[in-house]
Amino acid sequence: MAELDVNLIDGLAALVLLTAFLIVATGRMRTLVRVFALQSLALGLLAAAVAYSTGYWHIYIVAALTILLKALVIPRIIDRVMDRIQVANDVEPSVRTPSSLLIAGGLAILAYYVAEPLIQSGETITAGALALSLAVVLIGLFVMISRKKAITQVIGLLVMENGLFMAALSLSYGMPLIVELGVFFDIMVAVLIMGVFVFRINRTFDTLDTSFLRRLRD
Amino acid sequence: MADLVLALIQTAALLALAPLLTGIIRKLKAWMQSRRGPPIYQPYLDLAKLMRKGSVVSEDSSWVTTITPYVCLISMVVAALLVPAFVTESLGFLGDLIVLVYLFAMTRFFTALAALDAGSTFGGMGSSREMLVSSLIEPAILLSFFTVALLTGTTSLVSVTSVIATSGASLIGPALLLAFAAFLIAVLAENARVPVDNPSTHLELTMIHEAMLLEYSGKDLALMEYSSMVKLTLFVTIAWSAFLPWGVATEITAPALALGVIVFLAKLLTLAVVIAVIESSMAKLRLFRLPNLLTGAFMLAFLAVMSYFVL
Repeated sequence: MAELDVNLIDGLAALVLLTAFLIVATGRMRTLVRVFALQSLALGLLAAAVAYSTGYWHIYIVAALTILLKALVIPRIIDRVMDRIQVANDVEPSVRTPSSLLIAGGLAILAYYVAEPLIQSGETITAGALALSLAVVLIGLFVMISRKKAITQVIGLLVMENGLFMAALSLSYGMPLIVELGVFFDIMVAVLIMGVFVFRINRTFDTLDTSFLRRLRD
Repeated sequence: MADLVLALIQTAALLALAPLLTGIIRKLKAWMQSRRGPPIYQPYLDLAKLMRKGSVVSEDSSWVTTITPYVCLISMVVAALLVPAFVTESLGFLGDLIVLVYLFAMTRFFTALAALDAGSTFGGMGSSREMLVSSLIEPAILLSFFTVALLTGTTSLVSVTSVIATSGASLIGPALLLAFAAFLIAVLAENARVPVDNPSTHLELTMIHEAMLLEYSGKDLALMEYSSMVKLTLFVTIAWSAFLPWGVATEITAPALALGVIVFLAKLLTLAVVIAVIESSMAKLRLFRLPNLLTGAFMLAFLAVMSYFVL
């Protein structure tokens, strides 16, 4: 069992990182949301695999919540917002795609160097995934600062949260259930508020480009 | 001795099948576009026709134009000697994966030089675009080769194939699959297939590979066309042998060899279908969008190397 489980967990962790790179690579808003949903699905399955191989039942709940909220509900909400305000389908990065990809690769190397000592001393079966989850966090941050539209920034935040969740899973088999529930609630509220914000930004400026927010002064 | 004979038979088979693979892809594309299409042996007839014709060479061109068709043909034949297709025997002592990459690079270098040689505008455009594509895709190919070299501990393609084929499922992992995905994009980019270049265009402003062949005619053109068909066959074969070689004959017995040949033909056909589907369902990318795809391939290969170290 152990060999197969480790293979499956490693494969899903690699898929989460791969989807983070896809989020950087894609130039379409709709694809961006779909890829984010795929990443959350992979993360949910990863959590389920960890739950199966360790036998901790609370990880099952977290896995189910991840798939339900992050892979189904949140993408739906973002889609609704995009339909309501008729967002153009282009991502509008402020760093061009090939350079973005190379920067994301550099961030992945950085994450590996930072995480390597921790991996050596880690005892959980998922310790190897720590470097990948740090890379996902950094790439999420990079998406937030290098994309102009408000919605892409929301997705960057969600990607960071996915990375943090995977880091928690890989270091200590997840946080206590009550903390996880709090984080989920947080994320839901954040997405709803961001949805309203995006709506207001669009109403005020007729665009989602956040660089226009600099005009918000007297 | 038997292994040497088998290796030569394998090379001969690769060289003989190359036009057939191109014919099959064209036929499949024709079917998907509701056309009847030419018969699958049409490329043989085309090559035979061209071989019988004399070639016209520009007065202003130098020896580069004359020798390029032969350089291309010879480096493809040497490359075909190194690639295991249905049995893990080849003249692998001649060179390893790195040599293979540079044999392809030599073909490309001479083709680009020959395109510049006659001084036509199209040739110059073609070679500058070819260099753009190759400078972006070559790191991806090298990195995906390094991934399998790291996994198996050798850079010889035959040893890579036999180690992966005999080690069962334990080597299947993110590293191998990501490297395979990166190499598939490289197959399309290196062989002027659709998202990068359209193989069925002549005299269009967007062409890359065809633009470099415009100055060739007759026998020289036949050699250039044939080398690019062999190149496609070799890339498809390498994609399977270096990354997912299961089914290849690792020992010289009749059942293993028979299975190896059948599996090899099935693999060729599978990728032919994949290429035909991609070419029928996608549009060619704009030239300035190409770096996105090619950097993507590089990042896939990079992730493959990284997941070898991390996981």
